[in-house]
Amino acid sequence: MITTTALTKSYGKAQVVRDVSLHCEPGTITGFLGPNGAGKSTTLRMIVGLTRPDHGTSTVDGRPFAELPNPTRVIGTLLDPTAMHAGRSGRSTLMIAARMAGVPTGRVEQLLHLVGLGDAADQRVGNYSLGMRQRLGIAQTLVGEPAALILDEPANGLDPEGIAWMRGLLQDFADRGGTVLLSSHLLHEVQATVDHLVVISQGTVVAAGPLSELLASSSLLVRTPDPDALAGALRAARIGFGPGPDQTFAVDLRAGRVTAEMVARVALDHHVLVTELRPSDSGGLEKLFFSLTANRTGSTQEAAA
Amino acid sequence: MTTIMIRPVRSNGTGVALPGIPFSRLLRVECGKATDTRAARWLLALVAASTVGLMLAPLLAPSSIDQSYTSYLGFAGVAMSVLLPVVSILTLTSEWSQRNVLTTFTQEPRRVRVVGAKIAVAALLGGGAAVFGGLVTAVGLGVAAASGRPLEANLNTGVVVGFVLFVLLNVFMGVALGALVHNSAAAIVASFVLPTAFVALGRASTFVAQWLDPSATLNWIVKGEWSGHTAQILVSVFVWVAVPLAIGLVRTVRREIK
Repeated sequence: MITTTALTKSYGKAQVVRDVSLHCEPGTITGFLGPNGAGKSTTLRMIVGLTRPDHGTSTVDGRPFAELPNPTRVIGTLLDPTAMHAGRSGRSTLMIAARMAGVPTGRVEQLLHLVGLGDAADQRVGNYSLGMRQRLGIAQTLVGEPAALILDEPANGLDPEGIAWMRGLLQDFADRGGTVLLSSHLLHEVQATVDHLVVISQGTVVAAGPLSELLASSSLLVRTPDPDALAGALRAARIGFGPGPDQTFAVDLRAGRVTAEMVARVALDHHVLVTELRPSDSGGLEKLFFSLTANRTGSTQEAAA
Repeated sequence: MTTIMIRPVRSNGTGVALPGIPFSRLLRVECGKATDTRAARWLLALVAASTVGLMLAPLLAPSSIDQSYTSYLGFAGVAMSVLLPVVSILTLTSEWSQRNVLTTFTQEPRRVRVVGAKIAVAALLGGGAAVFGGLVTAVGLGVAAASGRPLEANLNTGVVVGFVLFVLLNVFMGVALGALVHNSAAAIVASFVLPTAFVALGRASTFVAQWLDPSATLNWIVKGEWSGHTAQILVSVFVWVAVPLAIGLVRTVRREIK
């Protein structure tokens, strides 16, 4: 539904996006994750034709965004909730979107209630809080009954209740076959919402895939009252290990070539008591995120030095 | 929570053609945008009020102001020439200044069509203002006649055409500046400073005075003095309308929207 191929963009000498390729399937929510300045917004702007890439292409529903005859019927876009006319009410902002899309304007009232702005509909957007603008922006993306959504940092300015509300809305949208691409630097928000991840750092994609795969643990945590015996047993079985947290062992899974059953059998064969055997905490996305972005920062600094 | 409104998502398979946005729809939407904010309404009210206000001058000072049809119409023209360019500029620039071009150009990525609709709206507002100016003039003359004043009925087709062209040229000079500059404040300042600057330059250079000074051009047009000035008028319109508009359109199409 949303596809980019080797998108690249430089401003002067600074290459802010380099060879970014991603693909979003219907029925999925893809999180576009990266620290500030990683090139997320620039990539999203290139997808919707607001920024011209130096190289690379992007398509929505099989064609470049700029060639969609009536884009808001295909894809709803919310890139910046502060980029709204401050002098217009929430209702007239949505009325304009509905007229442009060519959908019945009766939909506007439903959407105002859906996003919880029914009471504030006649206030000028200039008086809205960031969270209210974010809600109005979400409503605006839904006006044309699109099959896909592109949202840049949609959780910004929302309170925890608002974030939970939006999570439900997006999951509902995806469950009905919709495609969602949202960017964020809020790790926990992404972890709870998305099913696919594209992690970007310094303009390049450093990891991409289903959330479950990216978060899979790479080692087993093993605890025993007899560390020397277990160490000997593991060495004899040629299973690699290191020190784990709190006097435990961290056994390298070697991408599935070592399993919990193998470790348990080794312990059994050597009559070593094991009191804990489980996948080690991966540290979740946070660890992945920081390891990826920190590594890249380090390596490019070395490269630059 | 209500979720019923998010309808089952259509599967727009590739190649399923949804109809594009007709220009009439863009025109209707842009027309709404140009008139639906408090700022826009105040400005239009100000244009109307200043037209009526200026019409009081020939009515209240009959001894010092020429009591003729064209003299009255001239006062309507003055009101138009001061504020209508501002209306035109804001029609073109307000979405840039408010940054909601970000939304507009994702609703219709063919940016020239959006700008085209805005220009048409500015022209419609200008045409409406010209008609309104004519009506106010007629009322002013009616009041003067009712008070038993002798009026010189020197209105002819040439004068009316000149008045309409004068109003439209004011509108289009504002449109061109707005299309080029994209920033409301800068464009409005430029629309007041540039004509004055060219009057000053015109004193130093007869070439500037003859060919480039927009005030001279507008003066010839409103007075219907085309003979001997046609070339100058066309050059001036080219420089003040066609060139900035063309550059502005290219800039609009190329500009990165952030």
